[in-house]
Amino acid sequence: MLRYILRKLLLAIPLVVGVVTLIFLLVELSPGTVADKYFDANASPEVQQMIEAKFGLNQPVGVRYLKTLRNLLTLDFGVSMDGEEPVFDLIWQKLPNTLLLSFITLLVMYPFGIALGVFQAMRQGKASDTAVSVSSLFFYSMPSFWLAIMLQLAFTYYLPLLPASGMRDALAGLVEFTPWEQFVDVATHLVLPGLAMGLAHSAGVARYMRSSMLDVIRQDYIRTARAKGLSEWTVVTRHAVRNALLPIITLMGLSLPMLFSGAVLVESIFGWPGMGLLIVEAIKAQDTPVIIACFFVFTLVVVAGNLLADLLYAVVDPRIEYE
Amino acid sequence: MVRRMLSALPLVVLLSCGGGEPATTSTPGGTAEAPADRRDSLIIAYNADIENMIPVVAQAAHDTAIYGGNLFYPTIDSEFDCSLKKVPGLATSWKWSDDGKVLALELRDDIQWADGKPVTAEDIAFTYELIGDPNVASPRISFVERMVEGKRPLIVDPTHIEFHFTEAYDRDTQISHVSMDIVPKHILGTADRKLLKGHNLSKHPLSSGPWKLAKHEAGQRIVLEPNEHFSGPAEQRPKLNRVVYKVIPEYSTRLLELQNGTVDLMESIMVEDADMLRESAENIKLERRGWRFLDYIGWNLTNEKFSDPKVRQALGHAANVDDLIAKLLTSKTGESYGRAAVGTITPELCGVHNDDIVPLANDLEKAKMLFAEAGWTDSDGDGWLDKGGKKFSFTLTTNAGNKRRQRASVILQAQFKEAGVEMNIEQQETNVFFENLRKKEFEAALAGWSAGLFVDPSTIWHSDTADKKYQFNFVSYSNPKADELMDRGLRTPDPKEAAPIWKELQQVIYTDQPYLFLFWRDDIVGIDKRFENTTIDVLSPYKNLHEWSVPADKVKYQR
Repeated sequence: MLRYILRKLLLAIPLVVGVVTLIFLLVELSPGTVADKYFDANASPEVQQMIEAKFGLNQPVGVRYLKTLRNLLTLDFGVSMDGEEPVFDLIWQKLPNTLLLSFITLLVMYPFGIALGVFQAMRQGKASDTAVSVSSLFFYSMPSFWLAIMLQLAFTYYLPLLPASGMRDALAGLVEFTPWEQFVDVATHLVLPGLAMGLAHSAGVARYMRSSMLDVIRQDYIRTARAKGLSEWTVVTRHAVRNALLPIITLMGLSLPMLFSGAVLVESIFGWPGMGLLIVEAIKAQDTPVIIACFFVFTLVVVAGNLLADLLYAVVDPRIEYE
Repeated sequence: MVRRMLSALPLVVLLSCGGGEPATTSTPGGTAEAPADRRDSLIIAYNADIENMIPVVAQAAHDTAIYGGNLFYPTIDSEFDCSLKKVPGLATSWKWSDDGKVLALELRDDIQWADGKPVTAEDIAFTYELIGDPNVASPRISFVERMVEGKRPLIVDPTHIEFHFTEAYDRDTQISHVSMDIVPKHILGTADRKLLKGHNLSKHPLSSGPWKLAKHEAGQRIVLEPNEHFSGPAEQRPKLNRVVYKVIPEYSTRLLELQNGTVDLMESIMVEDADMLRESAENIKLERRGWRFLDYIGWNLTNEKFSDPKVRQALGHAANVDDLIAKLLTSKTGESYGRAAVGTITPELCGVHNDDIVPLANDLEKAKMLFAEAGWTDSDGDGWLDKGGKKFSFTLTTNAGNKRRQRASVILQAQFKEAGVEMNIEQQETNVFFENLRKKEFEAALAGWSAGLFVDPSTIWHSDTADKKYQFNFVSYSNPKADELMDRGLRTPDPKEAAPIWKELQQVIYTDQPYLFLFWRDDIVGIDKRFENTTIDVLSPYKNLHEWSVPADKVKYQR
């Protein structure tokens, strides 16, 4: 098992280097640099040269590329060109927020998607199955940012129940909030972004769950369970669902990167102070160290997610062993 | 994009010296206790987070708009009324030497930093030392280059300083150059100048103004609270408990929150959304900022199609700007937020803006006649003009994501078609668009300027491209007469004497039509009606926050 993990991690190295190289090239090829912000009517050419020197932009591309790789290798993310803050601090401020949002999204998408899938499988071919299929397809194909805006309109304007943006109330921490109020405050702010990201994905989960259930339900051991005289409820929950969950667990590991990329749009709309917003701002400002560090972290999350999926698979299915 | 354009203009400098009331009749106070009538909170929907609050290196207009006049006590304050009117701040009085080369300031000695240390002449000298130090890489270094070394400023005694200039120039500009916001020497004195931008103060400014930065949560909130150590005039003490800038990057979300009443203020509201607010949000009042933003089409004069002034005039007659304004910038209630432009000098600068220029009338016959004179006729009867067998066709580029410009291009496309001119539209990503402008790689470009409030058209129109200062002349305009007028205008210290020169310049440029000047646009600001004394100034909506108040019976946030 350990050897397997080690091998997977070693294989991840070329992947990470590849991603960093690609991102570096993309930033390099896009027009303009961070020094453009100093492109002021009154800035003399000397000043511009100085600023380029300050950010190391006057060095050849190759040198900058190798430096970037070396720094990442030592986990030194450098300093943001835009705000001149350590990139590590920037990510450290934002990553927990994105993880929190991702966690809530997982809470929305899995229980909901699994329940739907089971429901559909049990009613395969009936009108209710088709109805759920159609509506989940509808949510699945809906862009998450559009769903976000619709949810905002519905639950903050027409039915003003929830806050429209941010992570906390505008006055939280400035005036006294009881611990309970603080909890409710963050919780209510999580609902809409969580739904916006979770609903579409849960439709996907439902599709997987449905087909996996249909496979399982035809197995002999299900027939045996029914023949034993177990109630249909026990047959489904104890025997069918547990086995049908196997492929879904793999899906969980794979959905992490999906969550992170979805966060880019949803965080912008809800003003959620996470990695998505950080990366959008960094790209706008052409802040190379931040862009590269963000994608580096994203890649690590993807690798970790894949590994997690593999390992979980072995945990839930004793037949699988990694050598 | 707005940020990029704003930071590209001297306006930033201006915003950084805003704020405050006349200080002449004030009583110096010690540390203030909270006045009994202080109440309520103002929540602002803001599109950006803090980048840098050290005035020496600050770049972004959204930063200067927050700190200007609120966090830092201005040396010489400005109010805008036809021109920038100077109002005493840290400097109680100022006067020029006869040759206009020395500007002497008398300072008050009772203003203090929030840590209790006084704001001194030493702080001012230190601020200019930093601006002039190449290691700091201040974007304002060129201001200091116009001052005599060692005398920028010269400290005569603790309350008297003199700025010595290498030559006399426009006095409004000189004032703006000597009233940069001040930084505390006792904190930055030992800082590494090469890394000044990243100094702790950039996110945790030490206030000397009526407000202090009480809290900053990255990407979420910027909170101002009254500065209890503020020692300036008592009437400048805030009347609100706090001001919260809530960072909401998405326009539609900001608008929704304004509509819901979860924020109290939002700027840059689109005209159609203002209509919507009028109908659905009774608690919101809509105010105007003034004519600050210009949209234009720049003709690349190095392109042979546009090098003939007759062609440009013909295009001017073919376009219908009034129609654009009616379609894009007029509310359902009939209020117009657009005004036909005749140059890059804003109509807000009354007395300098040339009101006598008559905009080219929309006249297709005249257009066709001018085209014919330039050799462009529809010789093959296909509906398009041609010359030497080639159709009159060009590509208009603009930045993607700007709905107004997108719609304007489509309307103009139809208007030009009437005259037999084919216009293709190409939208480019903002960075690409500006890069292409800079490299002059375009045929015609729909772009904008945010006008500075002191007159200096030279960065846009001067033909001396050897001087990098004039790099905003994207269209390669060159007219010796215009150059001469600009050189003369900039060297005329008295704004009154310079005004006729600027008026003549506007006429010269308008006749040449290097741009198809479209319109000036008024910015709409929505504010909750419970706030009083909300003077929205052309300089910045947040300039006089200390004057804002809420009557006791209308308070929304009791805590």
